[in-house]
Amino acid sequence: MLEIKPNILIVDDERGLRIGTQRLLEEEGYEVTTAENGYEGIALGTSCEFDAAIIDMKMPDIDGLDVLSAIKKVFPNTICIIATAFASYETAIEATRLGAFSYIPKPFTPDELIYQLKLAYKQRTLLKEAENLKKEREEQLLEIANEKSRLNTIIKSISDGVLVFNKEGKVVYYNSSAIKYLDLPGIQIGEYIPEKIPQQISKILNKYLNSENIIEKSYASQIELQPNGQLFIEAVCSPIKNPDKTLAGVVVVIRNITELKKVDLIKSQFVSMVAHELKTPMAAVQGFLNIMLDGQIPLTYEKQQEYLSRSVVRLKSLLDLVNDLLDISRMELKTKQREIVEIDIAEVIKSTLLILELDIQKKGITVVQNFSEKLPVIKTDMNEITRVITNILSNAIKYNTDKGEIKIVLTTAQNYLIIKISDTGIGMKPEELKNLFQEFFRAKNEKTRNISGTGLGLTIVKRIIESYNGKIEVDSQYGKGTTFTIFYPINT
Amino acid sequence: MELKDKVKKVLIVDDDLDLLEQNKTLMESKGFTVITADSGKLGFEMFQKEKPDAAIVDLIMEEMDSGFVLCHKIKKTDHGKKIPVFMLTSATYETGFKFNSSTSEEKDWIKCDGFLNKPVVVEELLSKLENYFGL
Repeated sequence: MLEIKPNILIVDDERGLRIGTQRLLEEEGYEVTTAENGYEGIALGTSCEFDAAIIDMKMPDIDGLDVLSAIKKVFPNTICIIATAFASYETAIEATRLGAFSYIPKPFTPDELIYQLKLAYKQRTLLKEAENLKKEREEQLLEIANEKSRLNTIIKSISDGVLVFNKEGKVVYYNSSAIKYLDLPGIQIGEYIPEKIPQQISKILNKYLNSENIIEKSYASQIELQPNGQLFIEAVCSPIKNPDKTLAGVVVVIRNITELKKVDLIKSQFVSMVAHELKTPMAAVQGFLNIMLDGQIPLTYEKQQEYLSRSVVRLKSLLDLVNDLLDISRMELKTKQREIVEIDIAEVIKSTLLILELDIQKKGITVVQNFSEKLPVIKTDMNEITRVITNILSNAIKYNTDKGEIKIVLTTAQNYLIIKISDTGIGMKPEELKNLFQEFFRAKNEKTRNISGTGLGLTIVKRIIESYNGKIEVDSQYGKGTTFTIFYPINT
Repeated sequence: MELKDKVKKVLIVDDDLDLLEQNKTLMESKGFTVITADSGKLGFEMFQKEKPDAAIVDLIMEEMDSGFVLCHKIKKTDHGKKIPVFMLTSATYETGFKFNSSTSEEKDWIKCDGFLNKPVVVEELLSKLENYFGL
């Protein structure tokens, strides 16, 4: 028995043969439909797809060959077998030309018929498989076409430039970003453009194209396309290989690294400044020690003591500087652990004043406190707010005149707590004021000569306050004094 | 002829009082008379009053360019043209400053006879002075 029931159509005008064949085939496991004339045969054979059809050649209404071609037109995969009593060489050729799989001479024995049908079914399966394969292939081709256009869309829309050269060095693909960065309007596919692209890129390109053996690695080149760092690109060139590992071409991917370069520059400038600031006190300490170690230079005991204590002062300033730098670095890395608590700002100011008491007394400075009642509590990190207040208050002491005054006013306005700290010190010139929050900026004039500092105190203050969404303002009159005003948001 | 016949009195101008003290001590130990000033303004006053035989000027003093300005002022005077003026600096290529006085153009612009890197090694200063006088 057959596993699947093949569908057979029998078209024959002889009733006895029709029924006999039907019975025989059904016993063999086929599903059988019959038509008693040519027209019925066409109607049935074209209405649904049969696996095979056995068509009588000679029928009263129409010729079996007409039925064959009618069915084949609609279902080319239906296997047709022509049965005929008038078997001749010509009929056989004609039947095959019209698409018959084979023909069987009448009368036929059951074995002959079954054998033919088995062959027919095998053919049918092959045909179907071929058709499925073809369909699958077509689908895959469509998928590839879709994929290609999808990739195309992606490459066209990315901000990185893509430029592809074939192994003759001609442009075979580009996207609009590449045209924009390299300023190549009107470039044509197939154009040879080594003169139009930066020489750094064409040099690398030539390296790939002229090498005897394929170069497997990629090369990157950073190129300043517009002066003064206005446009910096990085071009990464990579080989494209054929399946046989020969060179097919070169792809150049162009990235805009202008911003990265800017950050780089700022960073290296900062590092230079830090190095300079670290070097100065170290050189001073080294100088003193060298003199003391030099046996040729006579030094009194007092001189030696003086040099040692001057060295200690320089080392202390060096240590302060390193600590400030670490604070800034922690702030930038955001690794500083914050412990946000509710604090009473008046308390912070009072305790800071206590710590600075000695310096205040030394200069004979008067501190005036004017705190409005019912100040709101603010939520902040205790260490950070103490740092802010300490830095500003110690500036107010350092840059104050002897017997000067420091005035601290605490008020609120809208959603801000306002901390105003004024001194009656040396003040700043407008050009000094401008650079005040700049790293390492220190006002240098005859009045500030003996005042030590790292040049980072106010940078730290500003960064802390801004990290809490607050702001700091400064007002100063040269020779009269300076006022710092901090606006600290009140958390509700 | 020795350097001491040419140079007796040296003016050192630096706003870092520690470095000023060190260079003074070192030069004195070599037998020179040293006069010091800690600002450009004071430095020029001392130069005019004392007429030193050589001057060492720190590049960066209270203002960014006061070392340059002082050199310029010294080299404008008749006496200044006759003596070596060296510029003291820790501002090098690594710290972002790109200058030297190797070409005549640069020498014309920067009115000094040479640069000395901080911290100063006295032997280097002495050999530069000797070179200047062709000793």
